Amino acid sequence: MTTPHLSNFDKNKPALDVPKLYTRGVKLWVSKVRVNTQAVLKRAQHIQGRKLAKKQWQAAWLLKAVTCIDLTTLAGDDTPSNVHRLCLKAIQPVRYDLLKSMDMHDKGVTTAAVCVYPSRVADAVKSLKAANSSLPVASVATGFPAGQTPLKTRLEEVRMAVVDGATEIDIVINRTLALTGQWEAMYDEICQFREACGDAHMKTILAIGELGTFTNVYKASLVAMMAGSDFIKTSTGKEAVNATYPVAIVMVRAIRDYFLCTGHKVGFKPAGGIRTAKEALVWLTLMKEELGDDWLHPHLFRLGASSLLADIERQIYHYVTGQYAAFHELPMA
Amino acid sequence: MAGSTAKTVHDIFQSMEYGPTSSSAATAQAWLDHHSRSLGLFMDGKFVCPADRQTCSLVDSKGSAVCSTVCAVDHDVSKCVSSAVIGFKAWSSLSCFERAKVLLKMGSVLGQHGQCVSEVCELSKTSCSPSTLLRLLQYYSSWAQLRDSLITDWSPLGVVAVVASDDCSLYSLMQKVVPALAMGNSVVIVPGRSSAPPALLLAQLFMEAGLPSSALSVLTGSDVSLGAKVAQNPNISYVTYSGNKQDGVTLCKATAGLGVPVSVSPCVGATCPFIIFESADIDSAVEGVMETAFKAKKEVQWVLCVQESVLDGVVSRLRLRMAAMKCVALASEGDRAQVDAALQEAQKQGATLLQPCAAPPSGTQFPPTVLCGTAPSSPCVVNPPPGPLLPLMSFRSNTEAVSLANHSPHGQAASIWTEDLTLALETAKSLSVGSVWVNSHSMSDPCLPASGHKDSGTCTDGGQEGLYQFLQPSSSSSSPPLPRSSSISMDYSNFGTATSPAVIPNGSDPASAPKSYLQFVGGKSCKSESGSSVAVQSPEGTTVLAYCPDGGRKDVRNAVEAAIKVQPGWMKKSMSARAQSLHSLAKGLEAKRRDIAASINAQTGLSLEEADKEVELSIARLSDWAACCDKIQGGAPPVPQSGFALSLPEALGVVGVVLPDNRPFLSMVTLLGAAIAMGNAVVMVPSQKHPLPALAFIQVLQSADLPAGLVNIITGSRDQLTAALANHSVLKAIWYWGNAEGCQYLQYTCTSPLKTLWLHCQKEEKDGGMDWTQLRPSHKEEMWRKAVQWKSIWIPTA
Repeated sequence: MTTPHLSNFDKNKPALDVPKLYTRGVKLWVSKVRVNTQAVLKRAQHIQGRKLAKKQWQAAWLLKAVTCIDLTTLAGDDTPSNVHRLCLKAIQPVRYDLLKSMDMHDKGVTTAAVCVYPSRVADAVKSLKAANSSLPVASVATGFPAGQTPLKTRLEEVRMAVVDGATEIDIVINRTLALTGQWEAMYDEICQFREACGDAHMKTILAIGELGTFTNVYKASLVAMMAGSDFIKTSTGKEAVNATYPVAIVMVRAIRDYFLCTGHKVGFKPAGGIRTAKEALVWLTLMKEELGDDWLHPHLFRLGASSLLADIERQIYHYVTGQYAAFHELPMA
Repeated sequence: MAGSTAKTVHDIFQSMEYGPTSSSAATAQAWLDHHSRSLGLFMDGKFVCPADRQTCSLVDSKGSAVCSTVCAVDHDVSKCVSSAVIGFKAWSSLSCFERAKVLLKMGSVLGQHGQCVSEVCELSKTSCSPSTLLRLLQYYSSWAQLRDSLITDWSPLGVVAVVASDDCSLYSLMQKVVPALAMGNSVVIVPGRSSAPPALLLAQLFMEAGLPSSALSVLTGSDVSLGAKVAQNPNISYVTYSGNKQDGVTLCKATAGLGVPVSVSPCVGATCPFIIFESADIDSAVEGVMETAFKAKKEVQWVLCVQESVLDGVVSRLRLRMAAMKCVALASEGDRAQVDAALQEAQKQGATLLQPCAAPPSGTQFPPTVLCGTAPSSPCVVNPPPGPLLPLMSFRSNTEAVSLANHSPHGQAASIWTEDLTLALETAKSLSVGSVWVNSHSMSDPCLPASGHKDSGTCTDGGQEGLYQFLQPSSSSSSPPLPRSSSISMDYSNFGTATSPAVIPNGSDPASAPKSYLQFVGGKSCKSESGSSVAVQSPEGTTVLAYCPDGGRKDVRNAVEAAIKVQPGWMKKSMSARAQSLHSLAKGLEAKRRDIAASINAQTGLSLEEADKEVELSIARLSDWAACCDKIQGGAPPVPQSGFALSLPEALGVVGVVLPDNRPFLSMVTLLGAAIAMGNAVVMVPSQKHPLPALAFIQVLQSADLPAGLVNIITGSRDQLTAALANHSVLKAIWYWGNAEGCQYLQYTCTSPLKTLWLHCQKEEKDGGMDWTQLRPSHKEEMWRKAVQWKSIWIPTA
């Protein structure tokens, strides 16, 4: 497989500022990765089978999930008006009176960020500013979702989103490089995105639905982290397979591996297909079980979702009132 | 708990702790209430609450009373067993189809009451999911259906007692009850304390499924001594035990000499290696450790063995994963003292501890603890204390991993983690354990046979292979090999110590002086270590026919040493090579048939013609066993879990055989053939009365193409040699034809380490119903099944 988009990238030059020795160590690390599929699947089943807590525990965990949501709209028909609605919902994700009855109204319960296409970043920034909120705006970039555009335009996309005010950039990896085992090339590419992001947080989308094997997922996770990702993210939400628990286990174990070797904590963001409050609880359980309490906060854990929030709000409504809400009783996004 | 309910949403939002998960036990409570919280004995298809009995109360994990059970007394036992005899008649006279139907129906009854069963289990602290019980019932109902078509010429034993210790799980108990029923036996369950309530409930459900009343009864008591009481009843045909080793030994000793075979599966408390190779998915392996090693109630004691090159990775992951773990409740203050002592000892030897938090200074709460840097000699490995402790050892190479893992008295199971298929299979083959789990742990399924190797059991459970413990060859029902008796009061330390009368040279004519034979040890003919001989009398008992060596303890020691050296190589030989060797033995016998026939004639008084026929039959028998070498095989039974599972027959190792008096030559050749065809080495003690044909056979053995030491023949006092065999720990099995006293001695003595016993109490002209000249297929099958143990290997895949 050729990689024509790498024309501006001189292979003879040492890759960015990384010494060759380090690259060799990285290669060895990546090549030694082993994942036992059935054991991972069993672990996922075990986590899903855990009994979930009820009452105030459930409410508290759900609110935590809310604070980890990257409230997302990624549609062709996004306009300033629905992005505006989304932003306001992100600032007040759960009805004020419901929060008040749990004494959580002044605890800063907002979603973690809003996530939009690059062209809508400016709209989102404007809406949030008008609402006096410092909520970060995240933007997908680099030829989302397929990543099949020239490197030059992908880099430019990142820079423009940052200029428009996005402080978090969700980039997609080049699956061609991953599938053909060109981990070094992928590493170099992500390093360039990292540079283009500047101070913005970079979340690297692995598009696990298109990586084939768990071993590839693990390797891609490692490479993405080595290249400076602040988060690794499962999928774009546009592939056939999105965030599944087994894949997440593989990714978070790579995060743990990376942490043990370097001391750096990298965040995790499952995205795509997460719709119910129960799923959100399982995701939190998975993070708590595999990585520990540090990864239960928005700076290390995000849930990429759009319709999830509505279900969580309904569950919280039920906890507070003992009744199930009709759809119109809860504010729409 | 009061504090936790007062926690606000915000508190939890900050701490992100797990909340309490309450499990309802309403159905179980209702059932218990229906029985007024005091469960009676179950016999004749109903609960019986005899008055004036002691009771035993059971508490749940929070310490509140669940229910009480009755402690049965002798009168209850005899009433129960005699009704079980009637139950056996009713149940065994049904057709296979009808029995299968009942077991299947039980499956659907269990489906209806699954909630109640799992809640009762939960309350009794013996978790067991109804789905695993359902699988047992479905699997064995098909065996009940197929018994007469696939296991022809075998019949049920009668009343089987299934005994469990207090800590035995319900599953381990039912793993024996269901196949026993499926084969047409009636069963008396003597459950342990924790398995009693669910066993009673299941017995009740079995009645609902249409099992003839009294085909299944449950007797509860205060400890395992009730099991021995039940075994004393002469109507019990077989006793099988599941649970911890200690109670198993107590049961064996208490039932010695009763003339009832007892088998033991000490499934609780065995030490099992958990091996992580450098080629493993380390994260998944560590997760496996987390799941199984620190449970509050664990059936086996794991020892973690990690390849040195990945030791740091494993330890750092364990540290991270354990960080969030909470303390585990120990059973008692006494346990705490044991744990403290073990830790102190380990730390003194330089072990470092890996704990999520420091242990509270006292009390029964204790944090999960990994003891890094222990060695096989560490007391916490040799004598694992209770509690959530996990010793960790490191190894350098693959072969070292195997020797580390095998260096243990236990042989129950092992878990190995590697992505390298060849390494996994090689390791699985070399481990002397009953179950090997590749990249997994603690899996089980009734379709896979597994025998406890070494000190971990004397019977095979699971699969078709596991059914034979509940069956007997049809013809022998008239005279059982081990007739019921009452135990003799005997001094075990004196058994076999009587000195044989010294041979006094009488200085007769050297031409007619009786010949002096040599015995056969380590491939060489030799005198006994003591140097003395005993006289062999002629059939009429008037003249001395010959002198044979008076072997003893040291001769047995030499023979076993020689045997264990060559046995592994013999087992690894290709099947066809083994068959070749047996054929060559048959050929050698052919060449010497005259000599042998003459010695049979001289020894037993059988006519020369008859004796020649016996030799001919022996030649045929050897050829038979040669042909069997490559026909007896394991397989890959289909398991419900995704992946593969293999079952492999393996040799026992060194087998001690005390040969029958009847047909001294034919019986020896038959048993010898069975043992070595299956890959064993043998130490044989020829009949004390008729040793000459066996000694004449030595010349055939010498010229045969068998490894030196594979077959050993030692003559002398039977009792003395039996005692010597019983006291050699290398032997895994003893096949015994002798008197009642010897049977009792073996049953009493062969408990530590456990030996598989095949006992025959021979009376005049009868060898436990076995007609050596006309061996039925079921007898032959019984023989080779006695000569192998089964290993199951799990290779789960996605």
